[in-house]
Amino acid sequence: MITIAMTTGFVLILIGLYGALTNTNILRMIVSFTIASTGVNVVLVSVGYMPGRTAPILDDAVPVGSATTSIIDPIPQALVLTAIVIGLGVTALMLAYAYRLFRIRQTLDISKIVELKW
Amino acid sequence: MVSAIFIIVVGLGAAFALGLLKDSWRNGAFALTMAALAVMSWISISWLGALASGAAQPTDILTAGVQPPFAINLRVGLAEAGLLSVITLTGLLSALYLRDALMQQGRRSMAVLLIAIMALSGIVLTRDIFNLFVFFELMVISTGGLVLLSDDERAIGAGFKYLVVTQVISILLLVGIIFTYHAQGSLNIDDFAAQPLAAKGAGLAFFLLLMALVLELKPFPANGWALDIYESAHPGFSAIFSAASGTAAVYAADKVLATGGAEWLPLATFIGLFTFLASNILALRQDNDRRLLGYSSVAQIGLVLAVIGQRDILGDQFLYIAGGILIAHAVAKAGLFWISGVITRRELTAWTVLRLNPPLVVAFATFLAMLIGLPPFPGFYAKWELAHHLVAEGRVAVLVLILIGALIEAGYLFRWFGLAIKREAPVARPKYAPGKVLVIYAAALLGWYAGYRWGALSQYDNLLQAMPLMVALGFLLIEGLPARIKNVIAIAALCVWFWLSYGSFDPLQMIFGVIFMIGGAVIFLASFHETGRRLGFYPPAMLMYAGLAMLIVAESSFAFFAAWEVLTIGSYFLILRGKKSEPHALSYLMFSLGGAFAILLGFALAAGGTAPLAIADLAQVTGAVAPWVFVLLAIGFMTKTAAIGLHIWLPGAHAEAEADVSPMVSGVLLKAGLYGMFLLLMTMGRQHLFGVDLTYVLLWIGALSALLGNLMAIFQEDAKRLLAYSSIGQMGYALFGLAMMNHLGWLMALMFVINHYVYKSLLFLSVGGVAKRTGTRDMYRMGGLIKLMPLSFIAVLIGIITMSGVPPLSGFGGRWIFYNAIMTADARLPMVLVFLSGPIAFLYLFRLIHTIFLGQLKDEHRQLKDAPFWILLPQMIYVAFLLGFAVLPGMALRRVDAYIGEHFTEQGLSWEGLTITSEFGYWSPVQIMIVIGTIFTLLFLLLLALNHKAQWVKQFNIVYAAERPFRPETTHFAWNFFAPYRRALGFLLAPLVTRFWGAITNALHETAEFTRKLYTGNGQTYAVHVLVFVVVLYLVAGGIS
Amino acid sequence: MSFEWIQIPYALLTLLIVFVYGVFMTTIIRKMGARAGGRYGIRLYQTFVDLAKNYALRSHISHGIMFYLGPVFRLTGGVGLILFVPTIYGSVMHQNFAFAGDLVLALYFVFFGTLGMALGAGESGHPYSAVGITRGLSQMTAAELPFVLAVFAVSLQYQTLSITEIVAAQQGGFLSWTLFTNPIAVVAAMIGFLGTMMRSPFDVFLAPQEIPIGPPTEFHSAYLALMQTNRILFPIAKIVIYMNLFFGGATNWPVFFLKVFLIYLVSALVGVVFPRFRVEQSIRFFLIWGLPLGILSILIV
Repeated sequence: MITIAMTTGFVLILIGLYGALTNTNILRMIVSFTIASTGVNVVLVSVGYMPGRTAPILDDAVPVGSATTSIIDPIPQALVLTAIVIGLGVTALMLAYAYRLFRIRQTLDISKIVELKW
Repeated sequence: MVSAIFIIVVGLGAAFALGLLKDSWRNGAFALTMAALAVMSWISISWLGALASGAAQPTDILTAGVQPPFAINLRVGLAEAGLLSVITLTGLLSALYLRDALMQQGRRSMAVLLIAIMALSGIVLTRDIFNLFVFFELMVISTGGLVLLSDDERAIGAGFKYLVVTQVISILLLVGIIFTYHAQGSLNIDDFAAQPLAAKGAGLAFFLLLMALVLELKPFPANGWALDIYESAHPGFSAIFSAASGTAAVYAADKVLATGGAEWLPLATFIGLFTFLASNILALRQDNDRRLLGYSSVAQIGLVLAVIGQRDILGDQFLYIAGGILIAHAVAKAGLFWISGVITRRELTAWTVLRLNPPLVVAFATFLAMLIGLPPFPGFYAKWELAHHLVAEGRVAVLVLILIGALIEAGYLFRWFGLAIKREAPVARPKYAPGKVLVIYAAALLGWYAGYRWGALSQYDNLLQAMPLMVALGFLLIEGLPARIKNVIAIAALCVWFWLSYGSFDPLQMIFGVIFMIGGAVIFLASFHETGRRLGFYPPAMLMYAGLAMLIVAESSFAFFAAWEVLTIGSYFLILRGKKSEPHALSYLMFSLGGAFAILLGFALAAGGTAPLAIADLAQVTGAVAPWVFVLLAIGFMTKTAAIGLHIWLPGAHAEAEADVSPMVSGVLLKAGLYGMFLLLMTMGRQHLFGVDLTYVLLWIGALSALLGNLMAIFQEDAKRLLAYSSIGQMGYALFGLAMMNHLGWLMALMFVINHYVYKSLLFLSVGGVAKRTGTRDMYRMGGLIKLMPLSFIAVLIGIITMSGVPPLSGFGGRWIFYNAIMTADARLPMVLVFLSGPIAFLYLFRLIHTIFLGQLKDEHRQLKDAPFWILLPQMIYVAFLLGFAVLPGMALRRVDAYIGEHFTEQGLSWEGLTITSEFGYWSPVQIMIVIGTIFTLLFLLLLALNHKAQWVKQFNIVYAAERPFRPETTHFAWNFFAPYRRALGFLLAPLVTRFWGAITNALHETAEFTRKLYTGNGQTYAVHVLVFVVVLYLVAGGIS
Repeated sequence: MSFEWIQIPYALLTLLIVFVYGVFMTTIIRKMGARAGGRYGIRLYQTFVDLAKNYALRSHISHGIMFYLGPVFRLTGGVGLILFVPTIYGSVMHQNFAFAGDLVLALYFVFFGTLGMALGAGESGHPYSAVGITRGLSQMTAAELPFVLAVFAVSLQYQTLSITEIVAAQQGGFLSWTLFTNPIAVVAAMIGFLGTMMRSPFDVFLAPQEIPIGPPTEFHSAYLALMQTNRILFPIAKIVIYMNLFFGGATNWPVFFLKVFLIYLVSALVGVVFPRFRVEQSIRFFLIWGLPLGILSILIV
């Protein structure tokens, strides 16, 4: 179960990176990076997962006293939440960039934005 | 003390508060931003002060009321406080600098700026790696926002590339973090240190974590994205990106590396050094100022990373060294970016506009000196300590690579400075925004202050409290005064300093002291000729003299090295003043800095890690390292004496310098190298390397310099170049004398020290005076000036008679001692060269006096007057001295003779009565003078009696194949004067040395040109670079472990 | 050695003897050269007549102060050189002013007259003077080299720089002359000697004199007289150094006359046999033939 999740996560990362590096269209690149960060999130969650335990939410089902033995590690979950938020921010910023680039250059082809080099 | 968490609270709070303000209320928004940044800076600085003085202890700040690792904790120690101060102050000053851009963009941009500074502070403070990730991402987003402040549309592309790359980095970082957490069960950095990750089989996780942080440092070659940002972003932001972001990222890498154990350090060293060297080489080909600064930034951060890689051996000095380099880098780079912001065009030559605003030039020079690590800035102390620690632990290779990189960096930075100072400047003085200029000055002042602090912290005397240096720097403050007043002060300063210190001099120091101080003061008399304010002359000149003054009293290797660099940098600025000096000054600086680095390495080797080393203790250096110390120090000193092979800087530097600067850098400055050689040979004596006696090698170098220097001199058409080449030959003689390692050889060298100072200063002044009048230095354009410039002629005549060694003047004394010295020397072959070079000196000396003063007067010179009074005055002093010294050489040499006698068993000279007697011969200057004088007078009277009616005839009253030529141009035999000699021996003058150094420079430039094509400008290529970088390093690191 | 007033008349006596001898020797050598060329040559007293005539001539011409002083420098060099070197070994009268300095003084004082003369000729403004000087100086640098090396070898051999002591060491039969104890050094020195005697094949720098312009024309009358006097004294002064260093010196005047004559004859003989070298050729000659011998001589001492 963990292995599958983790493998899926890494495969997503690789797909994402592959997509980001082979597509010259900026929007496709952004989408690829979202796929990759989803992959990262899956990896994160899978690392924190423990078979047979429940979600780390302390409510009636999970009394505080027995929490340490019955819930999975809450930290990766918290990390994933943060990472998703940040990923959202970065993706939004990239999209804003894409918009401005297109307005100035009338293109979304990253291989054409090379006036800064050497 | 306000808790450091308020740095984050204030930053964040103010950023949110800005969001609540009305959009039109921009002044208020800006005031709020500035206030927030000021509070953040104040908190940081107050912590720094308290921690540095011991008033406070390093403190952990807990959040959420729980102990780590269950909650994030922040820590403020000395390092954190220092870095926070750098970051927040950079933010504060940059915000002020960015005022216009921020006001235009509105409160949101200000909020982003606050978030950026807050995030960078957070990176420094936090002890939790996931929190680190969060701050990093905040930094990325805010960077992405601030890049857009630029007017340059290309910045948008650069920002997007940056985001692409940071996406890849954050994937690495997150994967690294989660597996690290998996292995450690904690996200707290302090928990890692207890159990190194690699031991737990989580090496890869740690590697990924580390790589993500290292990639933030823009390592070569995975740094194209950063360079594009540097080139296109607003310089106010680039300052933050370089100074603050770089600082924070370095500290993050350091925090994580510290937990990984020593086995990861070589990797950091490797990446750091590779980046440092490669970026510096690549920067050689840059002609865009901001991109060049970008390369330099990347290189400097690489250097800091390399230093972090040495933290296992630096011990408690780690902070001092790494901090010194980092702070010097931060202040200098921020300052340079800020300056670039007030300059409208981007090519390096556009910086000439600074000349219209001299204080900015001072700031520019300050920043460059800080970057290179010149005294008295923090980088200098750091470099010194680093060198000693590296050598003590046997990491000489690391040190050598660092020094090579630093030399290349100095090369392109000072080439740039040369461009800015020498190329044609615009006429109209631009109007600078006062706020921006103020920020630049603030940075420069902070740089000096940092230098002062680092000096105070060092175990040595604070250089900024050294009296000579303070006086020299004081001249910066009185630059506004007229030149003549400054000249009086300068002369007084030299004399007073000599008067204060001569009591403690031994005879050797006395001779050099008199030449440096009193000799310098005499040359300054010529400077009275200059009127106006003469900006930029006195500070460097006095800096050079300060270095010289500090050199002769230096007792420890540190003091010596510091003085050496001070005089080098002073003389560089001085030489650069010449009209066409730009390439020559640079070449001088390169050789001198290379030499200085050799000296540094030599001292470090000699000290073996136990700095400070007393100069006298060089004698205690034994074993396999001793000959290498000798070689390095000798090379260092020989760059100053321009020994053959290291000489190519000299002719241009001396010839192109101003009339009164040439004697300073020739007559005075060259002696610094000889002083070093004296000390070296006095303490270390004969050393053997691979069975070869090194003094024997020196003997050959001296002889070759003497021969080739003289030979090259005779073919010069330019009078000052002729004199300059002659200096190479003269220094060769002196080196030869020293290398003979016997009593008389040293005495001869000293005789040359004195004589060369006098006659070379004399001749440079005379020739300079003539050149001032005629407007050319080409001798064949002159001729027949004897009648118009009689005093200059007498000066040159006395000068050349002395230099040629013809009795009765004092040059003969040098030759006489030479003959007596070689009687006991072991090596005879190199003497052949010296014998050959002696008469060759006649050739160029005769050429000098003949083609200038004799022969046919040119039409355009018929109205000339003799050289200006103030240029003639020191010449006449020298003439009087030479005549006196010819009769009574004993007045200077007796005591020195006795002093040298302490170092040799053999007998010196006997100074009974008027005759000087050696083991082999005798010499009586007074009697020679009387005999020659009497014969000469009698014969003169005879001729007067016979030909008393003789009167001057007209210029062309000569018998010229029964015709009378009336054009002096065709009658003055002067050009290519020694053509037969060129036909016979010209083959010896193939410019092999020039070609050799030229080939090295070219190779570096070609490498740079070739390699920089790597940066295609395509964001995807950059991302590939990042991935390849990580994979290759993994393979390399795996190979290592 | 110290100075006493009586040495002044003694020195003047030496000077007089050398001068008179020099006049006749120069004449004889010129005659020999003429005979070798198939001419009759000048009369024995001709040189005296020439000198007397030139001293008697007056001139109104001067090109300037250095021009005026050139001949004075020149002759001071010749007279000084004779007086700084002991002429007759063992004779109190003919030690001259050797107390003032040793061999090194003699070596360097040679240049005094050369330099002054060069300056004087230079001020005349005549381009050929400058041409002659550049050639002469160029050749001198190479010609001096084997000589100086030989001198160094000799002073190493005798461990002294004092001419008197060098001569003293060569006393006791001609086999103790340097010529036999150190032949290589002597050969090297003699090669250098040829180069400094202003005779063919090394006299190209005098060529402007032949096409009769340049210094001798500009320097006429009493100027020329002083220079001619020097032409008589200076070669002898130089030969005295050679004689003292390499050929055992002279203990009395007859031996002095003979040795000086024979040494002078060497250069005269070579001169009538060989045609003239160009300057670069003579430089190469000295570097190829003289220099190795000189080096050898200092290495095997």
